[in-house]
Amino acid sequence: MEEGMELQLSLDKLPIKRLDSIEENGMERFPLNADYDEKRISLIRRIDFAWAIEKDEEKKKQKKSSKETSTPWQWQGMVDNLKLAHQELSVIIDLINTVEANDAVTVASMTRPKPLPNEALSDLAVSAATKLQCYRQVGKYFKQSAKAFEQQLAREARFYGALIRLQQNWKVKRQRQASIVPGNEGFTFDLFDNSYDQGAIIRSSPMSTVRVNHDAAGMLAINVSPNLCHSLEFGFVGAQLNMQKKSNENKSPLSDEHCLGETDTESSSDEEYVKKTHSLLRDVHKAIFNEQVFDLVNREAFNTSTGFSLTGLRENYLQLSLGQGTSVYLSLVSTGQDHPTVEGELTNNAENASSPLDSSDILMHDAKQNTLKKKGQHSISTCYEIYIQQIYQEHIFGRSSEKPISSGNRLSGAQAKDGSSLLGHFFMSLAHRIFSSKILAELENVVFKVPYLQLISNPTWHSRGSSWTLFMEVPPSILHGCQIKTSDYCEKNSIKRQFWIKVVVIDDRINVKAEGSPNVAGLFKGKSEDTHSINKYDCNLADLPVIILQQVASQIINWLYHEALMVGIKANRDFLCLSFELEQGETLGLVANVDPEDTDGCISWSLVMEDSFAEVQKLHKNITNGASEYRKFLGPLSLDLLYATLIDLIAFVGGCGH
Amino acid sequence: MDSQSQTTSLQRLQNVEKRIVKVLELAGGVMDELARPVGPRKDLVQSHCLEFMQLIKDIQVALREEIKSACEYRPFEKCDYGSRIANEICYKKVDYVMSQLDAMKQTIDEYHAAD
Repeated sequence: MEEGMELQLSLDKLPIKRLDSIEENGMERFPLNADYDEKRISLIRRIDFAWAIEKDEEKKKQKKSSKETSTPWQWQGMVDNLKLAHQELSVIIDLINTVEANDAVTVASMTRPKPLPNEALSDLAVSAATKLQCYRQVGKYFKQSAKAFEQQLAREARFYGALIRLQQNWKVKRQRQASIVPGNEGFTFDLFDNSYDQGAIIRSSPMSTVRVNHDAAGMLAINVSPNLCHSLEFGFVGAQLNMQKKSNENKSPLSDEHCLGETDTESSSDEEYVKKTHSLLRDVHKAIFNEQVFDLVNREAFNTSTGFSLTGLRENYLQLSLGQGTSVYLSLVSTGQDHPTVEGELTNNAENASSPLDSSDILMHDAKQNTLKKKGQHSISTCYEIYIQQIYQEHIFGRSSEKPISSGNRLSGAQAKDGSSLLGHFFMSLAHRIFSSKILAELENVVFKVPYLQLISNPTWHSRGSSWTLFMEVPPSILHGCQIKTSDYCEKNSIKRQFWIKVVVIDDRINVKAEGSPNVAGLFKGKSEDTHSINKYDCNLADLPVIILQQVASQIINWLYHEALMVGIKANRDFLCLSFELEQGETLGLVANVDPEDTDGCISWSLVMEDSFAEVQKLHKNITNGASEYRKFLGPLSLDLLYATLIDLIAFVGGCGH
Repeated sequence: MDSQSQTTSLQRLQNVEKRIVKVLELAGGVMDELARPVGPRKDLVQSHCLEFMQLIKDIQVALREEIKSACEYRPFEKCDYGSRIANEICYKKVDYVMSQLDAMKQTIDEYHAAD
């Protein structure tokens, strides 16, 4: 070793090449000389195992596609790789945790690495790509929500369209709930009328609020059970014939359609659906009203006792008796359900009360008569069912405008504001109606038998009054053509060809008014009430036919008398007899005989010839059918025949007079 | 607007809803256009945006009009339920009268047939 010589050694760093791996046969593998980017990517890849998983999946796929027997070798490699990855991952996680904890390692400094240009570009590219991705997502979101919104619009358009159409007729209320559940916006139909008269209604029906629901398709639906819809039924106890007919009438066309409309296609069925819902609401509304009517009738039936009495009471069923054996009932029935049949209650004696008609009626058998009577009763009961509803409708809702008819009616005072007289009035109307139908039967009977009488009904527009006119027209005088033409006014009145009898019934009082004998003083005044005196009678049902026939006969006698006067023959007139004087005190007379039971025409005539002396003899000897009296029975005669008889008599009398 | 006299208020509001749907669709279309990897077509985007703004303006105008012209809502001032019941009763009366007339006609027909 030499002194003073300094050696400097510089060591070049050996190019260290790290071995990647070395194989068994000694071959060395060096890592690829990757550039910076690739190194970064490979570093990233070390913690991004997607490629490994992909590779494994590929291997798995290959394994599945090929039929090679898989050696456990392949699986082992994958498992090892996964284990290594797991280890590396745990190392990194520990590192991160310790850095975070600032424990063993502290971050000395962090300098933002100056981005290389291609780095910046790639960052930009990545952020641009993510932004594009976001845009795409937002775009998809917009389109989806547009579609969903459109669908919801369609659904709501159906719902609100239906709701608006129903709102035109019904009140719709909405509750603002704190949490509005989608599918229930809190709408209800309010069927309660807040314009009722005070004091008329006390309770409101629970049915009067109908909730609006959605059905499966989002369409409006209401849930109404048909058993709650009651209708009012009024009828006569014991008359079962009206059952069948009523149940057919009462069935509403949609009694089996309630909630949940079908989701058929589109707008035409929407229309129908709205109509069905509307009908349902109408039914409920009517049912509420019917219940209120029944309620009021119920209350009144206990309070008053004029003309009717309560004889039966059940749930939704009231039975009242009107006297004379007539019993009626008022009940609430569900639509589609028959009313509870009455077991063993009072029989309907109204049929029996009108039985005088049966025996004397020659047109129909009894059976048919009974059917007709029942139909008549049915129509009466329908009629009065409507009437009772009307009465109470006016009472409940108050009178907004006075009807002109009722103001002039003397019975309008009875229809007072309080409800206590309504039921009484109703039953008096019903009683009147039954009574007047009996009267009508009698009148028809009379008119049927007498061929020259006509019956005219006069409408009175009042429920407790009826009026008829019996009308007779006589044949014209033979002198009609020869009559000197006076003024038309007189002419009209001097030739009277029409005679009337008026029958007026108010409640149960009959009043008969008939033209009587002509009044000469009033002949020129013009009105028929002045030209003829008016006979007025009050009578009862049994005497009615007789009185009418007597009036008819007397009118005929009057007419014949007047005709005789016109010819110039003086005649004497009695109530039912027209007599002419012959010489020597004899009288020839035409006598009328009335008999309502007669089947051959109720007015029969006879010619009577009397001696004036014979009358004195009768008185002394009490001969009832005097031998000195000559009587020829002529039977019922038509007016023409009567007139011809009169002319003959006049000719005879005139001939005798010479 | 010209169409105000022809359409009802309800139809105008429905049109507003349809416009809203269209607006959303346009927005989605613009987004899709922007998300194209090649880059958006300017004219298309511009036309969409113009239409969007126009529709928004239409919506605003319509809504303002509707709000101004909406009348004050007085609930249930005149309730017609009473006359509705009267109507139902009249309907029943007509029904009844018709049945009576039918019966009369039937009687007349029977009378003529019996001759």
